[in-house]
Amino acid sequence: MLRYDSTSSSAGSSSGSLSSSSSSSKPPQQDIDGLLAGAGYKVRSSELRQVAQRLERLETAMGNSPADFSQLASDAILYNPSDLACWVDSLLTEFAEPPPTCSSDFIVDPVNNQTVVNSAWTTAEPHTPQVHQNITYDEQQSLDNQLTVVTAMEEDSGIRLVHMLMTCAECVQSGDLSLATSLIGDMQGLLTHVNTVCGIGKVAGHFIDALSRRIFQGMGGGSVNGGSAFENEILHHHFYEACPYLKFAHFTANQAILEAFDGHDCVHVVDFNLMHGLQWPALIQALALRPGGPPLLRLTGIGPPSPDGRDSLREIGLRLAELARSVNVRFAFRGVAASRLEDVKPWMLQVNPKEAVAVNSIMQLHRLLGSEQTRNSPIDTVLSWIRGLNPKIMTVVEQEANHNQPGFLDRFTEALYYYSTMFDSLEACRVQPEKALAEIYIQREIGNVVSCEGSARVERHEPLAKWRRRLSGAGFRALHLGSNAFKQASMLLTLFSAEGYSVEENEGCLSLGWHSRPLIAASAWQAVPAWDNRMSSS
Amino acid sequence: MARSNEVNLNECKMVVPLNTWVLISNFKLAYNLLRRPDGTFNRHLAEFLDRKVPANANPVDGVFSFDVLIDRGTSLLSRIYRPTTAEEPQPNIAELEKPVTAAVVPVIIFFHGGSFTHSSANSAIYDTLCRRLVSLCKAVVVSVNYRRAPENRYPCAYDDGWTALKWVNSRPWLQSQKDSKVHIYLAGDSSGGNIAHHVALRAIESGIDILGSILLNPMFGGQERTESEKRLDGKYFVTLRDRDWYWRAYLPEGEDRDHPACNPFGPNGRSLEGIKFPKSLVVVAGLDLIQDWQLAYVEGLKKAGQEVKLLYMEQATIGFYLLPNNHHFHTVMDEISKFVSSDC
Repeated sequence: MLRYDSTSSSAGSSSGSLSSSSSSSKPPQQDIDGLLAGAGYKVRSSELRQVAQRLERLETAMGNSPADFSQLASDAILYNPSDLACWVDSLLTEFAEPPPTCSSDFIVDPVNNQTVVNSAWTTAEPHTPQVHQNITYDEQQSLDNQLTVVTAMEEDSGIRLVHMLMTCAECVQSGDLSLATSLIGDMQGLLTHVNTVCGIGKVAGHFIDALSRRIFQGMGGGSVNGGSAFENEILHHHFYEACPYLKFAHFTANQAILEAFDGHDCVHVVDFNLMHGLQWPALIQALALRPGGPPLLRLTGIGPPSPDGRDSLREIGLRLAELARSVNVRFAFRGVAASRLEDVKPWMLQVNPKEAVAVNSIMQLHRLLGSEQTRNSPIDTVLSWIRGLNPKIMTVVEQEANHNQPGFLDRFTEALYYYSTMFDSLEACRVQPEKALAEIYIQREIGNVVSCEGSARVERHEPLAKWRRRLSGAGFRALHLGSNAFKQASMLLTLFSAEGYSVEENEGCLSLGWHSRPLIAASAWQAVPAWDNRMSSS
Repeated sequence: MARSNEVNLNECKMVVPLNTWVLISNFKLAYNLLRRPDGTFNRHLAEFLDRKVPANANPVDGVFSFDVLIDRGTSLLSRIYRPTTAEEPQPNIAELEKPVTAAVVPVIIFFHGGSFTHSSANSAIYDTLCRRLVSLCKAVVVSVNYRRAPENRYPCAYDDGWTALKWVNSRPWLQSQKDSKVHIYLAGDSSGGNIAHHVALRAIESGIDILGSILLNPMFGGQERTESEKRLDGKYFVTLRDRDWYWRAYLPEGEDRDHPACNPFGPNGRSLEGIKFPKSLVVVAGLDLIQDWQLAYVEGLKKAGQEVKLLYMEQATIGFYLLPNNHHFHTVMDEISKFVSSDC
């Protein structure tokens, strides 16, 4: 029983987007070699021979000085290994001399001494089912259909608890609230017998609470966040300290922004959620150390309005300005107070046409995904004006999870495994109160995903594959994050004693996960120039 | 020098389909970038390059998977692959570890290849292979994400294999209904085959029953340079030089290739005569330069009176079992299926 994602087949703009993304040189899916795709490589069948020839050239080049290559490999920056044709080309550029004359394309047929055009490869064996060579690689379907589970469940009571949670969620979905309520009681009893130190047991309590709130407050109930913006900032800060997810996000985004700003003297960063501005000191310092000197840096920080006449945005801005001054970076700050990101209008950002703009969104875009798939939903509006700014780069970091599915049970299941993995990773943190407050931070997310609906449900996480489609459809193309960003992210992780973290590369994007389950994904984008886009305006 | 390179390239192009050639050549060249002459390994770049896939609890072609943390201390993960049943085409997420229902369910503990250094249980090529084994043998497959060299030398990989074996053997939900025992097979390709052998040895010593061992192009070696190594060096994707590098990275420092891990029936090895070693299915590719060592392994088992079936695939190169586009692949898969089902 396959599950189809309803959003991908709905809005008309998505079919239009496929033609515009093909204009930004994406190969048609049908021509991809199905067997290599299964191995993680995208090569068009029509290009196989060329790729093979280039591999040969590369081998010949490497054959000439083998010892140099590991050193060169350490220094070179490599991108997107899945796109084999581009990958081999980039290696050739790094390592090879100019191409030799056509001799490698021909072999002499020893039988009749005729030159035969490169036909040395065998064709598939006759009884091999040919149809498997070029299966239509339906990327969309396979990626929408994924549920990654990492578990360390040992005891029966833990398994029973998961069973009950699923049953309870099912009851909630079908409206059988009285059974759901009695299950809540049973589960609370069972909790006392379960190991709540790690794994499912740890997180089960939070899910029981969230279900409980959903049942007793009725649909659409539950507040957006448990507390004030001030509280949220504190929790956010402790989450930042307790585990590497936000650091990874900031670090990876900064790296990409730094590269995008190369050669520009006036640069402007728009931060969709300033919080305590934790991301920016590192960027300011990196810009200060830039060869040729730092640019003029403007930072526009968006955040919720503060109560009681405080201007917390301005306070953060002042502190960042102080830092910038201390490292001789010319700096200007502007705060834009808005309760919701969709309330921000581009004119508020006062972007100067001469500046290089970087738009930075750390876990904000998903909040714009309303429950209705209308044509001008907040996400479309915002992406449209971002595109209008023509930023040099847009850095996007999102939770790598499918928490915006229409069916409650599906969402609940996904969230249960996602957050149990995340909680498990938090176990590695030994510092208090960071750990306890980080747990509350995550707990609030769980509460929102599980017990809220409609406009109150803002934690509408979607996986990278969906964001790729959405952003491509909105006129953006991916800027690939390379091996240097990967390596530095990996090295960042070694600062944490916990061994379970891993960085993965996925077609130009990087993700950070725990025990092989990616939990957060970072990507970088650029607007496709308007004259390149044949899509009808949305 | 360029001349003989051309000859080598042309030879291996003649024996494999185009997409296989591209796949294995790409691995070969990428791996060349990762091995450093001083014996260190560019692990960051290796992880960057490795194409991985997540586990998927939603069935695809009748197989679903999930990851389990077997040992927290060493972060030892394994990926479990299970077949869906006619009664339950869509598994309940809460019941991933639901007891197997058939009278006899083979459980194959799989060790991926990569010369002890490359790849992971979640590498795309091995995820694909394990899924095939599930469908082929109606088995549960447990793919072990063992620690790799050079960061973790001998005996880490064997220790992890042993931990996984104990874990599998003690899962009530993996017990076959017929006798309430876990029907265990060990399997692996390249270094995974080597690990399978050594884990089987430990199992015998500890009284855990292994029903059979499947070794695909197992990685063995020795100090001596054999005829096949000299003849085939550099001809079919693999060089002696890289083989030496990997042994130096895995074996304890200062040890040579006659260490029993590398050469189990060599001067420092031991005879398995009188020992109740599991039956073995050993697949040797005729174009693999280490075949003399693999054939010596088979001889060693035979001499000790052990049950072993040799499948010698004359025109096969390394990695032939990764893509289902050649007849060696289908032949071997058939044999594996017979080997595993013969206990029903």
